[in-house]
Amino acid sequence: MPIYHPRLTTIDLDETKRYAGLSGKTDFSATLLSDACTQAQLLATPRGVWQVYAYDQDSHTIMSPSPLILTAEAIIRHLQGAAEVAIMAATIGISLEQEVSNLFSKNQYTLGLLLDAAGTTAVEMTCNAVCYVISGQAARSGLTAGRRFSPGYGGWPIIVQPEILQLASGAAIDLSVTDTKMLVPRKSVTAIIGLYPYHQTLNLHHEQVLSCDKCGQPGCHARKETTTE
Amino acid sequence: MIHIFDGAMGTMLHQAGLAPGECPEAWNIAHPEKITKIHRQYIEAGATIIETNTFGGNRIKLAHYGLEQKTVAINAAAVAAARQAAGTHAQLAGSVGPTGKFIAPLGDLTFDTAYDVFFEQISALDQAGIDFIIIETIIDMQEMRAALLAAKAATRKPIICQLSFDADGRTVTGTDPRTAAITLEAMGATIIGANCSLGPAQLLPVIATLAQSSSLAISVQPNAGMPELINGHTVFPMKAGEMAAWIPKLVAAGATFIGGCCGTTPAHIKAIRQAVDNLSTPVSHRPHTACTALTSRTRTLYLGPRFAPVIIGERINPTGRKALAKDIKEGNLITVKKEALAQIKAGAGILDVNMGVPGINQAATMKQVIEELSVLVDAPLAIDTTDPAALEAGLRAYPGRALINSVTAEAERLESFLPLAKKYGATVLCLPLSDGGVPTTAAERIKVAKQIIDVAVEHGLNRQDLLLDALVMTVATDARAAAETLLTLKLYREHFGCPAVMGLSNVSFGLPRRDLMNASFCAMALASGLDAPILNPFDPLMQDIWSAASALSGHDSQAIAYSRKYVEQPAPPVTVSNTPPDLLMQIRQTVINGETTGVAPLIRQALAENYPPLTITDQALTAAMNEVGLAFGQGRCFLPQVLLSAETMRIAFNTIKEVLPAHTTQSLGTVLLATVKGDIHDLGKNIVAALMENNGFTVIDLGKDVAPAAIVAATKEYRPHIIGLCALMTTTLPQVDITINALKAAGFTVKTIVGGAVLTESYALQAGADAYAANGVAAVNIAKQLLGSSN
Repeated sequence: MPIYHPRLTTIDLDETKRYAGLSGKTDFSATLLSDACTQAQLLATPRGVWQVYAYDQDSHTIMSPSPLILTAEAIIRHLQGAAEVAIMAATIGISLEQEVSNLFSKNQYTLGLLLDAAGTTAVEMTCNAVCYVISGQAARSGLTAGRRFSPGYGGWPIIVQPEILQLASGAAIDLSVTDTKMLVPRKSVTAIIGLYPYHQTLNLHHEQVLSCDKCGQPGCHARKETTTE
Repeated sequence: MIHIFDGAMGTMLHQAGLAPGECPEAWNIAHPEKITKIHRQYIEAGATIIETNTFGGNRIKLAHYGLEQKTVAINAAAVAAARQAAGTHAQLAGSVGPTGKFIAPLGDLTFDTAYDVFFEQISALDQAGIDFIIIETIIDMQEMRAALLAAKAATRKPIICQLSFDADGRTVTGTDPRTAAITLEAMGATIIGANCSLGPAQLLPVIATLAQSSSLAISVQPNAGMPELINGHTVFPMKAGEMAAWIPKLVAAGATFIGGCCGTTPAHIKAIRQAVDNLSTPVSHRPHTACTALTSRTRTLYLGPRFAPVIIGERINPTGRKALAKDIKEGNLITVKKEALAQIKAGAGILDVNMGVPGINQAATMKQVIEELSVLVDAPLAIDTTDPAALEAGLRAYPGRALINSVTAEAERLESFLPLAKKYGATVLCLPLSDGGVPTTAAERIKVAKQIIDVAVEHGLNRQDLLLDALVMTVATDARAAAETLLTLKLYREHFGCPAVMGLSNVSFGLPRRDLMNASFCAMALASGLDAPILNPFDPLMQDIWSAASALSGHDSQAIAYSRKYVEQPAPPVTVSNTPPDLLMQIRQTVINGETTGVAPLIRQALAENYPPLTITDQALTAAMNEVGLAFGQGRCFLPQVLLSAETMRIAFNTIKEVLPAHTTQSLGTVLLATVKGDIHDLGKNIVAALMENNGFTVIDLGKDVAPAAIVAATKEYRPHIIGLCALMTTTLPQVDITINALKAAGFTVKTIVGGAVLTESYALQAGADAYAANGVAAVNIAKQLLGSSN
């Protein structure tokens, strides 16, 4: 069970802007955004954990000690051609979300919102760093890592969250899941990454995140304006 | 001379019948003859150094197979099997692979545990009779440091350090070849190199950079190309002849120890042997100019006359800073981390770290701070302490080549600090103080500096490991103080060539306008040969001087950075008139702009000019929020701006109440807000609450994860005009229905507005809500409409 605490020597300002709903705005205070990113850096405790399992294409089964059969079309399609899967969990801890609540209670709404957005960026960066390690390890076995896909993403019901968290060994980084399938701390992610044999992956761009046009929430304020495949 | 390693042991073991999931190292005891046979094949192919079958022979890896108690026996058996094959025809390299865990703070393995694990294995290999230690396939500098330190303690034999680099030219945790070369050479590696992960084509630039950055011999063991998984088997596609074709290029790049990693076979080694034998030009001695450099895990910073001066940030120092000292004492490192980030932003290239707080365990604190800063900033660190225990704790935790600040000519300091510098590969700032006190003249300082340098060299340090402090004394008490320091800088450069470092601020002690004095002195010192001043990077005058001096000294090509900094500064606002034509309009615009610091003075001015509070509220504040709401709806402004306007409006209201305490604005109505049961995301609800409050509603916020019964009870207690329910997840949506039904069942007819990320208008209707709000601004407008107070 590899545990990795990635370094966060910066928080992507443009992504923070996007998550704050400011992607189309050029004249918003750079100082406020920068302050939020710095504060996120100070408050985030990035941690990740993952496990790799064989994946049976025919039965859509993750061959964990207690095999998990996937039933949702979205994830089955996503994993088409995968020989193995890496199941990961990542978090930045609870301090940042506590500070967001604290800021709102002190009527510092804007910084609260921006810090929340910077926290989302930090989680994404943590996930990317964990995926980078997974991808490197997979490459040593001749496998290419695909894009990560999380419970709740287009068409994969979040109901599977507890099983995925368990397969990732999420408890090792103090993650838990509520009765309503939400991760605690909130600024956390679980995801599955298909590991594909070379000949299956010539057209894969695993470093890209799932494009916004695949998501069923067109009103999202963080939606990317353009998408590329 | 070129030395040839063997190829892949794993590939050969699988061919010899090692089953999937079986421990390869267990064969050293179970099937030593098969191991010997593999070694023999490589020697016959032309290998001059063979690696023992001990890559996974550390206690942590062996524990996967329940074999950790046999660590020593397995390693000893491996050496015996290899020696059986090699005799005197080839040398043995004891292979040491990674633990498979990340060392803290990147993982859960402590540095000391990793050190112990490596020490155990390397001691076993050494005692069994290997000729080299080869630490290989390491992906993190801190793990390599633990292994190298353990190797230096366990054996006097040569130590080869090979990292694995990814296609982007860095290790998984971000170390580039140049940084690796400088760090590992300083720590005492004998040979450095790269293996695994990549084929020869991808490793070629890595090898070239290692060779250019170090005077050590360079080793390389590429994979047989990039692996592919075909029919369930990992296949390395590069044939022996193709691999051999890369050998002349790898040798030209600087490699003199060459072999193969994953997928290579005796056929590959034979081809490599032939390629080496056929090299047309002899291996030449590599030119290498040693420079003084500090490293972090991911970055190299050169210092000296050939390089741009570097600011050493002095602010992580509790001396004279009570609040910082208190935080450090209480174990609260947020302030330290904040200082670090701010100094980097302000232009510091190195951070000086001083934990000199009385009454704390300085060593433990230094370790913790160095660990935390090493994952927060890329800049190299200077460890500033007089305590040898704190110094060692910091150096051990630091994944790079640090600066020790500082070593004087006092015997005790020399004897305690210099061995640590050598052991951990640190650079040393030499401070020309001796038991005799402070030398006042430049000539005396040169003499003392030379004493320190001589002792440092006796301890095995080189000139490029040393930096010199020119000593800054107070000009107010000694008219010659600054002049002697400047002369010292010139003489340092003339006599020693080591980079010069010094703290500046002592020069101005006791004088007015210390900032001016410090900045002037900095400019003069830079011209005299100062390479790295220790200063407060937030001092604006110092920043100005620094920018100008960088351009004037030729380190800012064509003064581009200087021009960018000063041309792009916004012009100061021009005030046309002291009495704007319409004060209400000005307040309105201030709220729209979200100028939180500008609104209170305008409100005070308006009240002083007898504008009625109600007029200010209606015509300036509410009008502004209406306009912001409209702009939001039309996509002309965004949520953070709406919130900033709301904050500004709150400040305005509070200012009215502060100036006229009796004044109260009438509430538009009471709104009870809750995020439904099971939903722990309440940012959206908090935003709605903020906007409701600042648009004149009285808000009762029940928080998140609120059960229907609690909402019913609160409704009974507060009698709200509107209830706002928020649900963010598909799993909590049904709670909206349940809550509305519970309210109805309790007999309430209060209006309900619902919203949340996955909630839709149609869902809201079927759930029995009175309205659906897509966002906070919409919620405010709907609330006003529902209460008939839309304006």
